[in-house]
Amino acid sequence: MTDWLGMLAAPRTPRPELKGRVLARALAPRRRWGGPLAAAALITLAVAGGAWWAYRTIGTLTADRDGLATRVHALEDTVSTFIHGPATQLIQIPVSTGGRVGSVTIFADSVRHRWLVRCDGLAPNARDQAYQLWFITERGMATAAVMPMDQDKPMVMGLEMPGADQRVVGAAMTIEPRAGSASPSGPVVFHRLL
Amino acid sequence: MTSPKRLSQEHQRSLARRLKARDERALGELYDLVAPWILGLVVHILHDEDEAEEVVSDVFVQVWRRIDQHDAGRGPLVPWILSIARNRSLDALRRRRRWWRKSALLEQVHAVEGGDIAPAAPHEATVPGWPLHREVHAALAALSEEQRRVVVLSYFEGLSHGEIARRLHQPLGTVKTRLRMAHQKLTEGLRHLKDWVE
Repeated sequence: MTDWLGMLAAPRTPRPELKGRVLARALAPRRRWGGPLAAAALITLAVAGGAWWAYRTIGTLTADRDGLATRVHALEDTVSTFIHGPATQLIQIPVSTGGRVGSVTIFADSVRHRWLVRCDGLAPNARDQAYQLWFITERGMATAAVMPMDQDKPMVMGLEMPGADQRVVGAAMTIEPRAGSASPSGPVVFHRLL
Repeated sequence: MTSPKRLSQEHQRSLARRLKARDERALGELYDLVAPWILGLVVHILHDEDEAEEVVSDVFVQVWRRIDQHDAGRGPLVPWILSIARNRSLDALRRRRRWWRKSALLEQVHAVEGGDIAPAAPHEATVPGWPLHREVHAALAALSEEQRRVVVLSYFEGLSHGEIARRLHQPLGTVKTRLRMAHQKLTEGLRHLKDWVE
Protein backbone atom coordinates (compact mmCIF):
# COMPACT_ATOMS: atom_id res chain seq x y z
CA MET A 1 0.00 0.00 0.00
CA THR A 2 2.80 2.42 0.80
CA ASP A 3 3.90 2.19 -2.83
CA TRP A 4 1.10 4.68 -3.43
CA LEU A 5 3.26 7.24 -1.57
CA GLY A 6 4.80 8.01 -4.92
CA MET A 7 1.59 9.87 -5.67
CA LEU A 8 2.48 12.39 -2.94
CA ALA A 9 4.75 14.33 -5.24
CA ALA A 10 3.08 16.96 -7.38
CA PRO A 11 2.71 15.89 -11.01
CA ARG A 12 4.88 17.59 -13.60
CA THR A 13 3.91 17.82 -17.20
CA PRO A 14 6.76 16.33 -19.20
CA ARG A 15 8.20 18.24 -22.12
CA PRO A 16 6.39 17.10 -25.29
CA GLU A 17 9.52 15.66 -26.89
CA LEU A 18 10.17 13.36 -23.91
CA LYS A 19 7.44 10.91 -24.90
CA GLY A 20 8.98 10.24 -28.31
CA ARG A 21 12.39 9.80 -26.74
CA VAL A 22 11.14 7.45 -24.04
CA LEU A 23 9.09 5.28 -26.40
CA ALA A 24 11.88 5.12 -28.97
CA ARG A 25 14.30 3.94 -26.33
CA ALA A 26 11.94 1.45 -24.75
CA LEU A 27 10.86 -0.04 -28.07
CA ALA A 28 14.34 -0.13 -29.63
CA PRO A 29 15.53 -3.66 -30.33
CA ARG A 30 17.58 -4.97 -27.49
CA ARG A 31 21.20 -5.59 -28.05
CA ARG A 32 21.67 -9.16 -29.12
CA TRP A 33 24.04 -11.10 -26.94
CA GLY A 34 23.49 -14.36 -28.77
CA GLY A 35 26.64 -14.16 -30.91
CA PRO A 36 29.08 -13.13 -28.21
CA LEU A 37 27.48 -15.55 -25.76
CA ALA A 38 27.79 -18.41 -28.24
CA ALA A 39 31.44 -17.52 -28.87
CA ALA A 40 32.10 -17.34 -25.14
CA ALA A 41 30.35 -20.68 -24.67
CA LEU A 42 32.47 -22.24 -27.44
CA ILE A 43 35.68 -20.88 -25.94
CA THR A 44 34.66 -22.11 -22.51
CA LEU A 45 33.82 -25.50 -23.98
CA ALA A 46 37.17 -25.65 -25.78
CA VAL A 47 39.10 -24.66 -22.66
CA ALA A 48 37.14 -27.15 -20.56
CA GLY A 49 37.70 -29.87 -23.18
CA GLY A 50 41.41 -29.10 -23.27
CA ALA A 51 41.61 -29.17 -19.52
CA TRP A 52 39.75 -32.50 -19.45
CA TRP A 53 42.03 -33.96 -22.13
CA ALA A 54 45.14 -32.76 -20.23
CA TYR A 55 43.74 -34.19 -17.01
CA ARG A 56 43.09 -37.57 -18.64
CA THR A 57 46.48 -37.60 -20.40
CA ILE A 58 48.34 -36.69 -17.24
CA GLY A 59 46.39 -39.38 -15.40
CA THR A 60 47.28 -42.00 -18.03
CA LEU A 61 50.96 -41.00 -18.08
CA THR A 62 51.09 -41.03 -14.30
CA ALA A 63 49.64 -44.54 -14.26
CA ASP A 64 52.18 -45.64 -16.92
CA ARG A 65 55.03 -44.11 -14.93
CA ASP A 66 53.88 -45.80 -11.75
CA GLY A 67 53.62 -49.14 -13.58
CA LEU A 68 57.10 -48.77 -15.02
CA ALA A 69 58.49 -47.78 -11.64
CA THR A 70 56.94 -50.91 -10.13
CA ARG A 71 58.46 -53.07 -12.85
CA VAL A 72 61.86 -51.45 -12.35
CA HIS A 73 61.68 -52.14 -8.62
CA ALA A 74 60.72 -55.75 -9.34
CA LEU A 75 63.64 -56.12 -11.73
CA GLU A 76 65.98 -54.53 -9.21
CA ASP A 77 64.80 -57.08 -6.65
CA THR A 78 65.33 -59.89 -9.12
CA VAL A 79 68.80 -58.68 -10.04
CA SER A 80 69.63 -58.11 -6.40
CA THR A 81 68.53 -61.68 -5.63
CA PHE A 82 70.76 -62.95 -8.41
CA ILE A 83 73.75 -60.92 -7.41
CA HIS A 84 73.60 -61.30 -3.66
CA GLY A 85 72.08 -64.81 -3.43
CA PRO A 86 74.31 -67.33 -1.54
CA ALA A 87 73.87 -69.91 -4.33
CA THR A 88 74.91 -67.48 -7.05
CA GLN A 89 78.18 -68.12 -8.86
CA LEU A 90 79.84 -65.19 -10.58
CA ILE A 91 81.75 -65.90 -13.75
CA GLN A 92 83.49 -63.09 -15.59
CA ILE A 93 84.88 -63.83 -19.04
CA PRO A 94 87.08 -61.36 -20.96
CA VAL A 95 86.31 -61.41 -24.68
CA SER A 96 87.75 -59.80 -27.80
CA THR A 97 85.43 -59.01 -30.73
CA GLY A 98 86.17 -56.91 -33.81
CA GLY A 99 89.48 -55.80 -32.36
CA ARG A 100 88.03 -54.52 -29.10
CA VAL A 101 88.10 -55.93 -25.60
CA GLY A 102 84.93 -56.56 -23.67
CA SER A 103 83.52 -58.95 -21.12
CA VAL A 104 80.65 -61.30 -20.45
CA THR A 105 79.52 -61.59 -16.85
CA ILE A 106 77.36 -64.53 -15.78
CA PHE A 107 75.47 -64.73 -12.48
CA ALA A 108 74.55 -68.42 -12.30
CA ASP A 109 71.85 -69.22 -9.71
CA SER A 110 71.93 -72.97 -9.18
CA VAL A 111 68.91 -72.91 -6.86
CA ARG A 112 66.48 -71.19 -9.23
CA HIS A 113 68.20 -72.61 -12.31
CA ARG A 114 68.53 -69.21 -13.91
CA TRP A 115 71.36 -67.19 -15.35
CA LEU A 116 71.68 -63.44 -15.51
CA VAL A 117 74.05 -62.54 -18.31
CA ARG A 118 75.53 -59.11 -18.96
CA CYS A 119 77.59 -58.37 -22.06
CA ASP A 120 79.84 -55.29 -22.17
CA GLY A 121 82.05 -54.00 -24.98
CA LEU A 122 80.95 -56.48 -27.63
CA ALA A 123 81.43 -55.19 -31.18
CA PRO A 124 78.16 -54.73 -33.12
CA ASN A 125 77.30 -57.62 -35.41
CA ALA A 126 77.32 -57.57 -39.20
CA ARG A 127 73.77 -57.28 -40.61
CA ASP A 128 73.40 -61.01 -41.26
CA GLN A 129 75.03 -62.19 -38.04
CA ALA A 130 74.26 -62.45 -34.32
CA TYR A 131 75.97 -63.58 -31.16
CA GLN A 132 74.63 -66.90 -29.89
CA LEU A 133 75.14 -68.03 -26.29
CA TRP A 134 75.34 -71.74 -25.54
CA PHE A 135 74.99 -73.91 -22.47
CA ILE A 136 77.65 -76.61 -22.40
CA THR A 137 75.93 -79.66 -20.93
CA GLU A 138 76.99 -83.22 -20.35
CA ARG A 139 74.95 -84.13 -23.43
CA GLY A 140 76.42 -81.47 -25.69
CA MET A 141 75.70 -77.86 -26.68
CA ALA A 142 72.24 -76.39 -26.02
CA THR A 143 71.29 -72.97 -27.27
CA ALA A 144 70.74 -70.38 -24.53
CA ALA A 145 70.02 -67.19 -26.49
CA VAL A 146 70.49 -65.51 -29.85
CA MET A 147 71.61 -61.90 -29.41
CA PRO A 148 71.69 -59.72 -32.53
CA MET A 149 73.72 -56.71 -31.49
CA ASP A 150 73.24 -53.71 -33.74
CA GLN A 151 74.32 -51.02 -31.31
CA ASP A 152 77.36 -50.51 -29.18
CA LYS A 153 75.49 -50.84 -25.89
CA PRO A 154 75.66 -53.20 -22.91
CA MET A 155 73.10 -56.00 -22.93
CA VAL A 156 71.49 -57.76 -19.94
CA MET A 157 69.24 -60.83 -20.09
CA GLY A 158 67.82 -63.49 -17.81
CA LEU A 159 67.96 -67.09 -19.02
CA GLU A 160 66.26 -70.29 -17.90
CA MET A 161 68.76 -73.17 -17.59
CA PRO A 162 68.07 -76.52 -19.28
CA GLY A 163 66.19 -79.23 -17.41
CA ALA A 164 67.70 -81.28 -14.60
CA ASP A 165 68.62 -84.09 -16.99
CA GLN A 166 71.10 -81.75 -18.72
CA ARG A 167 73.64 -80.65 -16.19
CA VAL A 168 75.34 -77.43 -17.27
CA VAL A 169 79.07 -77.59 -17.08
CA GLY A 170 80.05 -74.48 -19.03
CA ALA A 171 79.11 -71.70 -21.40
CA ALA A 172 80.17 -70.63 -24.87
CA MET A 173 79.43 -67.85 -27.32
CA THR A 174 79.76 -68.00 -31.09
CA ILE A 175 78.93 -65.77 -34.03
CA GLU A 176 76.14 -67.35 -36.06
CA PRO A 177 73.70 -66.42 -38.83
CA ARG A 178 71.12 -63.82 -37.80
CA ALA A 179 68.38 -66.40 -37.03
CA GLY A 180 70.71 -68.54 -34.94
CA SER A 181 71.96 -72.12 -35.43
CA ALA A 182 70.94 -75.47 -33.98
CA SER A 183 74.58 -76.17 -33.14
CA PRO A 184 77.67 -73.95 -33.04
CA SER A 185 79.17 -73.41 -36.48
CA GLY A 186 80.69 -69.92 -36.54
CA PRO A 187 83.68 -68.20 -34.93
CA VAL A 188 84.00 -68.78 -31.16
CA VAL A 189 83.89 -65.66 -28.96
CA PHE A 190 84.56 -67.58 -25.75
CA HIS A 191 84.35 -71.12 -24.41
CA ARG A 192 84.45 -71.60 -20.65
CA LEU A 193 83.90 -74.55 -18.32
CA LEU A 194 82.47 -73.68 -14.90
CA MET B 1 -13.45 20.05 -23.06
CA THR B 2 -11.65 16.78 -22.90
CA SER B 3 -13.34 13.70 -21.47
CA PRO B 4 -12.09 12.59 -18.05
CA LYS B 5 -9.43 9.92 -18.08
CA ARG B 6 -9.85 6.80 -16.03
CA LEU B 7 -7.38 4.28 -14.78
CA SER B 8 -9.52 1.73 -13.03
CA GLN B 9 -8.10 -1.51 -11.77
CA GLU B 10 -9.66 -3.20 -14.77
CA HIS B 11 -7.99 -0.65 -17.03
CA GLN B 12 -4.66 -1.32 -15.32
CA ARG B 13 -5.10 -5.05 -15.77
CA SER B 14 -5.95 -4.49 -19.41
CA LEU B 15 -2.87 -2.33 -19.92
CA ALA B 16 -0.70 -4.93 -18.22
CA ARG B 17 -2.11 -7.67 -20.44
CA ARG B 18 -1.53 -5.62 -23.56
CA LEU B 19 2.01 -4.77 -22.47
CA LYS B 20 2.70 -8.43 -21.87
CA ALA B 21 1.37 -9.10 -25.38
CA ARG B 22 3.95 -6.53 -26.61
CA ASP B 23 1.32 -3.99 -27.69
CA GLU B 24 3.39 -0.88 -28.31
CA ARG B 25 0.34 1.41 -28.30
CA ALA B 26 -0.35 0.34 -24.73
CA LEU B 27 3.03 1.73 -23.70
CA GLY B 28 2.09 5.08 -25.24
CA GLU B 29 -1.21 5.08 -23.37
CA LEU B 30 0.52 4.20 -20.14
CA TYR B 31 2.99 7.02 -20.65
CA ASP B 32 0.17 9.54 -21.15
CA LEU B 33 -1.47 8.42 -17.92
CA VAL B 34 1.41 8.07 -15.51
CA ALA B 35 4.35 10.06 -16.89
CA PRO B 36 3.40 13.30 -15.06
CA TRP B 37 3.31 11.44 -11.75
CA ILE B 38 6.50 9.53 -12.43
CA LEU B 39 8.29 12.70 -13.44
CA GLY B 40 6.91 14.51 -10.40
CA LEU B 41 8.13 11.78 -8.07
CA VAL B 42 11.57 11.57 -9.67
CA VAL B 43 12.07 15.33 -9.72
CA HIS B 44 11.03 15.49 -6.08
CA ILE B 45 13.72 12.97 -5.20
CA LEU B 46 16.48 14.21 -7.50
CA HIS B 47 15.79 17.95 -7.75
CA ASP B 48 17.22 17.85 -11.24
CA GLU B 49 14.90 17.99 -14.26
CA ASP B 50 17.40 16.65 -16.82
CA GLU B 51 18.46 13.74 -14.68
CA ALA B 52 14.83 13.06 -13.84
CA GLU B 53 13.95 12.73 -17.52
CA GLU B 54 16.70 10.12 -17.91
CA VAL B 55 15.31 8.19 -14.97
CA VAL B 56 11.76 8.40 -16.37
CA SER B 57 13.12 6.96 -19.60
CA ASP B 58 14.80 4.15 -17.64
CA VAL B 59 11.54 3.45 -15.82
CA PHE B 60 9.54 2.98 -19.01
CA VAL B 61 12.28 0.85 -20.53
CA GLN B 62 12.18 -1.35 -17.44
CA VAL B 63 8.37 -1.51 -17.47
CA TRP B 64 8.38 -2.56 -21.13
CA ARG B 65 11.10 -5.18 -20.72
CA ARG B 66 10.04 -6.58 -17.35
CA ILE B 67 6.29 -6.34 -17.47
CA ASP B 68 6.21 -10.13 -17.08
CA GLN B 69 7.50 -9.64 -13.53
CA HIS B 70 4.41 -7.66 -12.57
CA ASP B 71 2.07 -9.88 -10.62
CA ALA B 72 -1.45 -8.46 -10.83
CA GLY B 73 -2.40 -10.58 -7.85
CA ARG B 74 0.01 -8.63 -5.65
CA GLY B 75 -1.17 -5.16 -6.61
CA PRO B 76 -2.19 -2.79 -9.36
CA LEU B 77 0.14 -1.61 -12.10
CA VAL B 78 0.59 2.00 -10.98
CA PRO B 79 2.12 1.34 -7.52
CA TRP B 80 4.46 -1.17 -9.18
CA ILE B 81 5.64 1.51 -11.60
CA LEU B 82 5.93 4.05 -8.78
CA SER B 83 8.14 1.67 -6.83
CA ILE B 84 10.37 1.20 -9.90
CA ALA B 85 10.60 4.97 -10.30
CA ARG B 86 11.45 5.44 -6.65
CA ASN B 87 14.13 2.75 -6.68
CA ARG B 88 15.68 4.10 -9.87
CA SER B 89 15.67 7.62 -8.46
CA LEU B 90 17.30 6.56 -5.23
CA ASP B 91 19.90 4.60 -7.21
CA ALA B 92 20.66 7.73 -9.21
CA LEU B 93 20.80 9.76 -6.03
CA ARG B 94 23.33 7.39 -4.52
CA ARG B 95 25.41 7.33 -7.68
CA ARG B 96 25.85 11.00 -7.81
CA ARG B 97 29.37 12.19 -7.43
CA ARG B 98 28.04 15.52 -6.42
CA TRP B 99 26.22 13.90 -3.56
CA TRP B 100 27.32 16.25 -0.88
CA ARG B 101 26.64 19.38 -2.92
CA LYS B 102 23.16 18.08 -3.78
CA SER B 103 22.67 17.06 -0.20
CA ALA B 104 23.39 20.62 0.87
CA LEU B 105 20.87 21.74 -1.75
CA LEU B 106 18.32 19.32 -0.35
CA GLU B 107 18.89 20.69 3.10
CA GLN B 108 18.12 24.17 1.80
CA VAL B 109 14.96 22.91 0.08
CA HIS B 110 13.82 21.13 3.20
CA ALA B 111 14.58 24.15 5.28
CA VAL B 112 12.16 26.05 3.06
CA GLU B 113 9.57 23.24 3.01
CA GLY B 114 10.01 22.32 6.63
CA GLY B 115 11.08 18.81 5.60
CA ASP B 116 7.59 18.06 4.37
CA ILE B 117 5.95 17.57 1.01
CA ALA B 118 3.33 19.99 -0.17
CA PRO B 119 0.34 19.06 -2.33
CA ALA B 120 0.38 20.11 -5.95
CA ALA B 121 -1.01 23.47 -6.94
CA PRO B 122 -4.72 23.45 -7.84
CA HIS B 123 -4.03 24.34 -11.49
CA GLU B 124 -2.63 20.82 -11.92
CA ALA B 125 -5.94 19.23 -10.97
CA THR B 126 -6.66 18.35 -14.57
CA VAL B 127 -3.87 15.77 -14.52
CA PRO B 128 -5.33 12.24 -14.48
CA GLY B 129 -5.02 10.67 -11.04
CA TRP B 130 -5.50 13.93 -9.17
CA PRO B 131 -8.06 12.52 -6.65
CA LEU B 132 -5.64 9.79 -5.77
CA HIS B 133 -2.96 12.38 -5.15
CA ARG B 134 -5.30 14.16 -2.74
CA GLU B 135 -6.15 10.97 -0.91
CA VAL B 136 -2.52 9.99 -0.43
CA HIS B 137 -1.83 13.47 0.89
CA ALA B 138 -4.78 13.14 3.25
CA ALA B 139 -3.35 9.85 4.53
CA LEU B 140 0.02 11.53 5.07
CA ALA B 141 -1.61 14.50 6.77
CA ALA B 142 -3.25 12.13 9.23
CA LEU B 143 0.19 11.24 10.56
CA SER B 144 1.82 13.21 13.32
CA GLU B 145 4.48 15.73 12.35
CA GLU B 146 7.26 13.43 13.58
CA GLN B 147 5.91 10.41 11.74
CA ARG B 148 5.45 12.44 8.55
CA ARG B 149 9.03 13.64 8.68
CA VAL B 150 10.54 10.14 8.99
CA VAL B 151 8.30 8.82 6.21
CA VAL B 152 9.38 11.57 3.84
CA LEU B 153 13.07 11.08 4.65
CA SER B 154 12.76 7.33 4.22
CA TYR B 155 10.65 7.33 1.07
CA PHE B 156 11.99 10.28 -0.87
CA GLU B 157 15.60 10.27 0.18
CA GLY B 158 16.02 6.55 0.72
CA LEU B 159 17.73 7.14 4.05
CA SER B 160 18.31 4.20 6.35
CA HIS B 161 16.95 4.22 9.88
CA GLY B 162 20.37 5.17 11.22
CA GLU B 163 20.76 8.00 8.73
CA ILE B 164 17.32 9.38 9.64
CA ALA B 165 18.21 9.19 13.33
CA ARG B 166 21.39 11.18 12.71
CA ARG B 167 19.62 13.69 10.49
CA LEU B 168 16.89 14.37 13.07
CA HIS B 169 19.12 13.95 16.13
CA GLN B 170 16.76 11.29 17.45
CA PRO B 171 17.48 7.89 19.01
CA LEU B 172 17.42 5.01 16.51
CA GLY B 173 14.68 3.20 18.41
CA THR B 174 12.46 6.27 18.24
CA VAL B 175 12.89 6.50 14.49
CA LYS B 176 12.08 2.80 14.04
CA THR B 177 8.97 3.12 16.18
CA ARG B 178 7.77 6.19 14.33
CA LEU B 179 8.32 4.52 10.98
CA ARG B 180 6.52 1.36 12.03
CA MET B 181 3.52 3.25 13.35
CA ALA B 182 3.44 5.51 10.30
CA HIS B 183 3.52 2.49 8.04
CA GLN B 184 0.59 0.94 9.90
CA LYS B 185 -1.45 4.14 9.66
CA LEU B 186 -0.67 4.60 5.98
CA THR B 187 -1.55 1.02 5.16
CA GLU B 188 -4.85 1.50 6.93
CA GLY B 189 -5.48 4.91 5.39
CA LEU B 190 -4.72 3.79 1.84
CA ARG B 191 -6.42 0.42 2.01
CA HIS B 192 -9.52 1.74 0.32
CA LEU B 193 -7.62 2.96 -2.75
CA LYS B 194 -8.87 1.10 -5.75
CA ASP B 195 -9.31 3.12 -8.85
CA TRP B 196 -7.62 6.07 -10.31
CA VAL B 197 -10.61 8.11 -11.33
CA GLU B 198 -11.34 11.24 -13.32
